[in-house]
Amino acid sequence: MNPTAAIALVRDTFREAIARKIFWGLFGLSTLIIVFFLFVMKIDIVAGATASISLFGLRNNHTVDAQRLVRGVFGGVATFLYSWANIIAVFASAGLTPSVLEPGRIELLLSKPVARWHLLLGRYAGNLLVVLCNTVYLVVGIWLILGWKTGIWSPAFLLAIPTTTFIFAVLLAVVVLVGVLFDSTALSIMVTVGLTIISLILAAKDTMMKLLSSEWSRWLWLGLYYVLPKVYDLGRITLNAIMDHTFSGWMPIWSSALFAAVMLGAALYVFSRRSF
Amino acid sequence: MPVEYAIETSDLRKIYRSRWRRREVRAVDGISLRVARGTAFGLLGPNGAGKTTFVKLLLSAVIPSGGTARVFGRDVHEPEARRPVGYLPENHRFPTYFTGAGMLDFYAALSGMPEPERKRRIPELLDLVGLDRWGAVRIGKYSKGMLQRLGLAQAIIHSPNLLILDEPSDGVDPMGRRHIREILSTLEEKGVTIFINSHLLAEVELFCSEVAIVHKGRVALSGKVKDLTAGKGYKLTAAQVPEALETELRGKAAAVAARDDVVDFQFVTREQANEAIDLLRGGGCAIEALTPTSSTLEDVFVRTIGNGGPAAETAATEVKA
Repeated sequence: MNPTAAIALVRDTFREAIARKIFWGLFGLSTLIIVFFLFVMKIDIVAGATASISLFGLRNNHTVDAQRLVRGVFGGVATFLYSWANIIAVFASAGLTPSVLEPGRIELLLSKPVARWHLLLGRYAGNLLVVLCNTVYLVVGIWLILGWKTGIWSPAFLLAIPTTTFIFAVLLAVVVLVGVLFDSTALSIMVTVGLTIISLILAAKDTMMKLLSSEWSRWLWLGLYYVLPKVYDLGRITLNAIMDHTFSGWMPIWSSALFAAVMLGAALYVFSRRSF
Repeated sequence: MPVEYAIETSDLRKIYRSRWRRREVRAVDGISLRVARGTAFGLLGPNGAGKTTFVKLLLSAVIPSGGTARVFGRDVHEPEARRPVGYLPENHRFPTYFTGAGMLDFYAALSGMPEPERKRRIPELLDLVGLDRWGAVRIGKYSKGMLQRLGLAQAIIHSPNLLILDEPSDGVDPMGRRHIREILSTLEEKGVTIFINSHLLAEVELFCSEVAIVHKGRVALSGKVKDLTAGKGYKLTAAQVPEALETELRGKAAAVAARDDVVDFQFVTREQANEAIDLLRGGGCAIEALTPTSSTLEDVFVRTIGNGGPAAETAATEVKA
């Protein structure tokens, strides 16, 4: 892999994300959330052990454990990040793959001495980096503000950076595969959001095992659960780590990583065999 | 030892198959072509002949259904085969978020040029194509002609040995065309192989020394431009020509075409035409017409395509003979 070309591909994705206002859109949204924590949400620590919270000037008179409160806020932010923020990021960046496949643009890229897998991975990495930058900005921003306001520093919250980026990387692999197969931004979004929703439903497997009557339907449910990415479980892992400093197992991580690898591998295969 | 051919294809094919209707389109149907190093080569053909698909096969943008394609001896599937190639596509869509200089920098980086070299070459190239004042302007503001010139700069920034240009003067005004021709001439003098895919026959005739006419995915005619346009001379039309006499005159004529009950013989010199008249008259044939002719590449093109393309491969041999 030529490093000059690799850097150029990543930079190009960044440049396009900036030109399409994707980067600044995500950055603006992150800033709004940071500003919310900076000015709107006010947490008063009393004697370091208890706290009261006020929102838009409305004070909650119940005092709570300050550590618990701050962790709760961190947990809420993390939940927002791996759910809604990821969906927003998918919406925002789904067009970045089909855009390079446009006639008149792709031929020129393919005429360069760069392998096809290199071109697609460069795009994927650039896209991931755009979201990573925004996630770092948002998470570190909130962490610094809450730490400064409360004096409570919870490094576990920073785990939201790798977990959010990881979930996005998994979903982005689906976006890239659908983009390469059908050149359609809209379809990429539909499939990825649909997959996320299905994954969330499948996560209720314990309940469903009791409700489903037939053996085959239970097997089907479990099969789909283990094959598809585990968005809910990954979120749960993050939340548990932040709130209770507990870790519930590697299975959701490696199985989701495997799913992403298969999706990305399929995208690279399709891209390498396609005529433009 | 340097490779003799810049481009070498053998029975190159691209067949598009419809999955559901079981129909197939033979976009490129067994093209075998050799372009010698340092040649200015023109690829001609009517719309839909398979020219652009052929070019894309050379760049590995289209996956072949069969056959082989090599660039300077390397299989085009290898990314390294494309390192000495500069390419200007037809209907290009350069991302409009680039400035002129930014666009050159990006594509030069993809060609593996280190940053210091890119910084040195970009102003040179912008100056060469007359866009030195436009380097910092977003290309969304460029006219079509300016984009074409920028595209040419992009194709030559890494000093390629083979330049593949798909309709290079599309949308360029006459002054711009001349400018592009001058740039290409300079490159040709430096030994760069130039492969032009164009429908502007006069331009190809002016610039290229060799051409191939593609029709229905096949090479209908190929050769040196001076040989193909050697039709300047006399066209002799005769009727009731016995087969033996027609065969004898085929050996002397530059081209022969039979239609209905008459045969057209093309002779280069007046003496050849007179000698043929004597033979035909002696053989009891009727002379229908004798007309002085001048052949351009356009005439050759029309004749070739009019003859039905692939069947005209024999005509090619006849013209060259």
